[in-house]
Amino acid sequence: MKTIPPPCPVPDTGPKYWRSLDQLADTPEFREWAEREFPAGAGELTDPVTRRSFVKLMSASFLLAGVGGLAGCRRPIENIYPFSKMPEGYVHGVPKYYATARPTRRSAVPLLAKSNDGRPTKLEGNPHHPDSNGGTDTFTQASILNLYDPDRAIRFAQDGNNATPEAARDALSKIAADAQSSGGKGLCFLAEQSSSPSRLRLQQALGAKLPQAKWYEHEPVDFDINREAASLAFGRSVKPYFKIDQAKVIVSLDCDFIGSEEDAYINIRRFAKGRKLEKKDDSMSRLYIVEALMSQTGMNADHRLRLPASAVIQIAALLAGEILNQSGQSDASLASAIAKLVDQRTISDLNAQLKPTDAKSARKWSADFINKWAAECAQDLLRHRGRSLVLAGYRQPMAVHLIAHALNSALGNIDSTVVFHEVPAPKNGNIADLAGALNSGQVDTLVILGGNPAYTAPVDVKWADAQAKAKTVVRLGYYEDESFPAKGWNLPQAHFLESWGDARTADGTIVSIQPLIEPLFGGVTDLEVIARVGGLDKTTPYDIVRETFQAGTHGGEEDWKQFIHDGFLANSAYQSASVRLDASAVTQELASAEAVTVPGKDKLEVIFHRDYRVDDGSFNNNGWLQELPDPVTKMTWENTVLMSVQTAKDLGLYIHNRENNRLMVPLVKITVDGRDVVGPAWIQPGQADNTIGLALGYGRSNTGRVGRNSGYNAYSVRSTRHLHCSIGAKLAATGEKHHLSTTQDHWSMEGRPIVREATLKEFQQHPDFADSLSMEKPTPFAPLYPNPFDEAKKTGHHQWGMVIDLNSCVGCSACMTACQSENNVPIVGKYQVANNREMHWLRLDRYYTGDVEDPQVVTQPMLCQHCEAAPCENVCPVNATTHDQEGLNVMVYNRCVGTRYCSNNCPYKVRRFNFFDYNRRSLEQLQGPVYPTPLTSKSNGEWDLLRWFRDPDRGTKPADEWDMLKLSKNPDVTVRMRGVMEKCTFCVQRIQAAEITQKVKAGASGDVTVPNGSFKTACQQACPAEAIEFGNIADPESRVSQLKAQSRNYSVLEFLNTKPRTTYLARVRNPNPAMPDAYDQPESTVEFKQHNGGSEAGPAEMGAKKGAE
Amino acid sequence: MAEPLSTVQVQQPSGASQPLAIYAPPPELRREPLVQNERGIGWISDAIAGVAEGKTPLWWWIAFLPSVILMTVCFSMILYLMSVGVGVWGPGHPVMWGWAIINFVWWIGIGHAGTLISAILFLLRQRWRTSINRAAEAMTIFAVMCAGIFPLIHIGRIWFGWWLFPIPNMYGIWPQFRSPLMWDVFAVSTYFTVSLLFWYMGLIPDLAVMRDRATSTLRKFFYGLFSLGWTGSNRHWSNYEKAYLILAGLSTPLVLSVHSIVSMDFSVSQLPGWHTTIFPPYFVAGAVFSGFGMVLTLLVPLRRLLKLEDIITVRHVELMCKVTLATGSIVGYAYAMEFFIAWYSGNPYERYAFINRAVGPYAWGYWIMISCNVITPQLFWFKKVRTNMVLVFILSIFVNIGMWFERFVIVVISLHRDFMPANWGYFRPTWVDILTYMGTFGLFFTFFLLFLRFVPIIAIAEVKGVTPQADPHHPLGGAKGGHH
Repeated sequence: MKTIPPPCPVPDTGPKYWRSLDQLADTPEFREWAEREFPAGAGELTDPVTRRSFVKLMSASFLLAGVGGLAGCRRPIENIYPFSKMPEGYVHGVPKYYATARPTRRSAVPLLAKSNDGRPTKLEGNPHHPDSNGGTDTFTQASILNLYDPDRAIRFAQDGNNATPEAARDALSKIAADAQSSGGKGLCFLAEQSSSPSRLRLQQALGAKLPQAKWYEHEPVDFDINREAASLAFGRSVKPYFKIDQAKVIVSLDCDFIGSEEDAYINIRRFAKGRKLEKKDDSMSRLYIVEALMSQTGMNADHRLRLPASAVIQIAALLAGEILNQSGQSDASLASAIAKLVDQRTISDLNAQLKPTDAKSARKWSADFINKWAAECAQDLLRHRGRSLVLAGYRQPMAVHLIAHALNSALGNIDSTVVFHEVPAPKNGNIADLAGALNSGQVDTLVILGGNPAYTAPVDVKWADAQAKAKTVVRLGYYEDESFPAKGWNLPQAHFLESWGDARTADGTIVSIQPLIEPLFGGVTDLEVIARVGGLDKTTPYDIVRETFQAGTHGGEEDWKQFIHDGFLANSAYQSASVRLDASAVTQELASAEAVTVPGKDKLEVIFHRDYRVDDGSFNNNGWLQELPDPVTKMTWENTVLMSVQTAKDLGLYIHNRENNRLMVPLVKITVDGRDVVGPAWIQPGQADNTIGLALGYGRSNTGRVGRNSGYNAYSVRSTRHLHCSIGAKLAATGEKHHLSTTQDHWSMEGRPIVREATLKEFQQHPDFADSLSMEKPTPFAPLYPNPFDEAKKTGHHQWGMVIDLNSCVGCSACMTACQSENNVPIVGKYQVANNREMHWLRLDRYYTGDVEDPQVVTQPMLCQHCEAAPCENVCPVNATTHDQEGLNVMVYNRCVGTRYCSNNCPYKVRRFNFFDYNRRSLEQLQGPVYPTPLTSKSNGEWDLLRWFRDPDRGTKPADEWDMLKLSKNPDVTVRMRGVMEKCTFCVQRIQAAEITQKVKAGASGDVTVPNGSFKTACQQACPAEAIEFGNIADPESRVSQLKAQSRNYSVLEFLNTKPRTTYLARVRNPNPAMPDAYDQPESTVEFKQHNGGSEAGPAEMGAKKGAE
Repeated sequence: MAEPLSTVQVQQPSGASQPLAIYAPPPELRREPLVQNERGIGWISDAIAGVAEGKTPLWWWIAFLPSVILMTVCFSMILYLMSVGVGVWGPGHPVMWGWAIINFVWWIGIGHAGTLISAILFLLRQRWRTSINRAAEAMTIFAVMCAGIFPLIHIGRIWFGWWLFPIPNMYGIWPQFRSPLMWDVFAVSTYFTVSLLFWYMGLIPDLAVMRDRATSTLRKFFYGLFSLGWTGSNRHWSNYEKAYLILAGLSTPLVLSVHSIVSMDFSVSQLPGWHTTIFPPYFVAGAVFSGFGMVLTLLVPLRRLLKLEDIITVRHVELMCKVTLATGSIVGYAYAMEFFIAWYSGNPYERYAFINRAVGPYAWGYWIMISCNVITPQLFWFKKVRTNMVLVFILSIFVNIGMWFERFVIVVISLHRDFMPANWGYFRPTWVDILTYMGTFGLFFTFFLLFLRFVPIIAIAEVKGVTPQADPHHPLGGAKGGHH
């Protein structure tokens, strides 16, 4: 007799994505079901049954009981279930790649997403996309973690209570029905920006159906000024697209185009392309920048002028004055309007502020420094007509953008370095208009599509109050955050990897967004909500996108498949529009430009800037980005109040202070337009005096476990009138101290030739300048024992090596996040970062050289150098780190006992140690400095040790976190436990995958050498600048070998004879010798000279001398 | 001829008693006796054995209870460390070794004096060693025990610590013999084993004394068990002396090797400040210096508390002060030489490492080290200082502090600013670091105080051997038909 167990009930709520038995076991239904097994089994005993069936039953019961943790005296058994029906072509363990895209504000990042057994684990740029090389940015790399964020909105909520998805959809239908009857009167939408053709189509359909419904858009960091300014300047709705690689001279007017502007990763690619040097006669572009804050672009500039953001217009006008006059073809009224903007008194005031206090740096300064700077810069632009480019940053007012367009027009750059794309002008109001409508009671139904307006809206809008005034609020949100409606609906938003959609990238190419996984928590997309509220026929996102595709291309099934497969629609890019500057419109607009006020120490200029890590706050709960050091400040886990050295001195702030190994800085209160906010003060070398930088996106009052208590909220002092910049702020120390965590404490390179630099001229004269900075290498004689690698090397099929081009690297940190995602690198929390225990395998070292007020900045990606004579290997007592025959310094986690000697002996300090069981710590524990022991701590009302004993793998993580965490890991990379050392492996899993593929392909032919360029390491793949090259150095044809053969190639600390496999190509700066701040040698070289005998000879001359010998 | 020092009655074979005048030796030969006040050998036995036999003095309890509490703290901290991770300590990039390794080297250094006194001084016929060798050896053993804890618990996965031993296993994986940590395992375990054997061997005749004097069955049983049937026969003594000499010979190279090898943990690496060839001799000198410092710290108060001033005399203390002075000067020379070589090498990284020691963020640590290790011992040039027990005690504490800071300077200051400025950081210990270190004092003193109460703290037999009575040529000594 066979006992059939009752069917396993499927829970109505809760996760639907992972149906492993052990998870289900935790639901009450399952437990009940499992328990019901026993009476049935017990009943068997009294029945005259065979022994066999009893034993069968009992063993099944025990199995289930064990799995359920009901009789948990053993470790839980985890079963691997095979597919009952194998998908066609599926090979278990081999990841699949799908094309998709990450939508951004008015653009998108084309992607290839890696899927392991049905869950996305890594995002890579789509290299086939016409405007991509496969590189991405940090946000994209980290966005996959948002998918598995245990704190995301996981439920449909009505008035804060759980509700079913069906009820939510009914509510939307009701709104739709009501709107139908009133023609949409009183129905308002508040959306984030989007480039989706489908959304545009839906919006139009909605407008047709509900003519009275109103559409508003809100972006706290809004790049639309580019389109607005271009539309104004050229008299039609166009948007600029910059071909930075075509420009030989680039002038940035406070434009952080390789940092915080939209589509920076494309700009980085193009910028790096314009600066690639292969041979000594190659030319490279020159970058000038005028800016207030030290930005990534500023870090990479050849000439940088620090001025308050509000004064940038003066430089723009000075440049325009020179250029418009000399180009000879400009409109006289425009020229005079621009000339009127120049105020020599303001300029001389600013010039006075620029005067350095110490005589050493004063050599560059003169009484008309700014004028000279602008004049020479203008001359350089004029010399490169048609091959130059002037860019204006999104924080700059309209006037600066218009001047930039006028300059580009006068210089003949239009259609050469900048093209204009015709785009539809959005018809929508802004959030202030909507708040007005709400406050006057005109809004019955408010539909919020994404975003977090209660947090990001300008403070004077008082959005939270306004939002509550709508009769019905439906909000689609990724988190249950500040904008979570206490009354009304909150719908969980689907992640882009869970939803169908489409978008247009910067060049206009239409990209498909296809889901890689069912919505984990049943989230919905904005397309669906619009369609439902609008009462449209098709409400599923797939149908909507499909219909849009159909309408746009009239393509058939095969075209659609092609579109989904490729991830983009070929030849769908915008056509460049031919434009002519509308001088009169520009002249008219310039007349209304505000006069410049020079900020002083009691009327400071406050600049609200987009954060390099959490964007506008949307990535606030993303641990990878929170722990990613800011590319400029190297600060983690929070934002700081940035100011220059001189400003801090003027304000009487002593910043760099250590107390008990904690970086303790004064908390300061900044008062802007009558409102104040308190944040930790921090010095940013190179920032303009009397300016204060406040990064947006932190200080959230209602966020997840990661973002909690991180930073201060700059939005709380940001008002509609002063969205980007406000003059007249006051700053006062509160007398309190605040603890900061930075990953790099020391600013200076101390004259050591770690990052090597030269000017273009020096490079042309002495292409081997990098080598000439090397220290004398001792000749190894009578070694104690031969290096075992020398013998092993002979048996390797490949010899792996890496080259990093410091001339291309801009320090964007995409590689760091890519590495973190690829290699399951854990986050450690603010206090652990303060103890220098961050786990990044790849880090970006940033050094300031020269004058602290006006430094030159260099960045250097630093990762395991895979030394051939690795100092870490011979000191490990247990052979846990050894060399393989292909030149990888491999780390055997299983064998490591954690003496940490390898790290001490590593001159590059690239090894990372698991001081705690970071992978099993709960997110709550990111906060604390000292962690509880499982022996004593209590949580969930249970003695922790017991739980740890029952499920040691989970550690102290709550179930939700643990389940999400498991999904986010790369199954090809070991998750390291506590007490072991780890480090960059050169992505050994990718090497192995490539080698296995090649071996399979080779078959009997025996050609097992992996072809060049058939795979990339994660950092290399993510790098938009193509600064990282990896490959087989045994093959002279490989790109990496060719780069290593270049004259700029050098290894860091070569004198130690470690023979690193990772080498660097020295950086080259391209200063203009006519500039007042020209330099013959980069500051780092000057410092090197000072530290090495102070001889007048620079590296170039030294190289020459060496050659002469 | 001057007046005789004294006159003693010498019994003639005939039974008649005859006065014998004893004259003082000429001034150039005059030495203070190693046992003062012409104590008889019976008194010596009583005085030394009495420490372990008498009623437990109050001061012992006052010292013992906090020691036990501290020892418990030590073990609690280790438990905490093991259950959570090494992260409860201070290390992080770039200082991956912190107090654990400092404490390890410090305790090992302290452990040097015992074997040096018992082995090298024995071979060099320094008879004054007899009064202090037992206690110094015990100190060595307990110090090495304290030291031995740290390398084990400082590793990330303590439960795999045995992988450092060359134990044949089914994976066929051996430790890495190129690693100095490996050599450390051998050096320290050998040193500990030999020191323990040597100490125990020397104890056997005295344990027999204790056995013979024992009044309770329990004591009799245990002393009897550990004295291995010692009867004091000539054959026993003959074997004993030979074995003692062999062990002394074996221990002598160990005294030099163990700290040389510990120093190689540093000098084999390539970190500026570690990568120096001067380390082995300099570490040995430092170890002897710190070992004698600790012996002084322990014995100066003990001789008073245990009323053993006649056996551990001022002369002993003076001699130890002189060793301290000599080794302290070597250490001072080594410090100077390190600086010279750093400058002379012309290597900017080396130069910076040493300049950073003196003027960097940890300059306070460096100058504590210099003042304690270089300036303090120089005071021992003065006899007034050497003979002032309070001063000697205080200075010996300075030596201990200085030597701890020497290791701090080497471990932390070298690591915290190495090759690449981007890595530079600052190290700070946590409360767990501090309590673990304090806890090892508890462990040390618990054992040492138990040693005081159960084992003769001075080698009874050997001290008797250096009394005038033991010298056949001495008027008081020799087989002159008397008995004792």
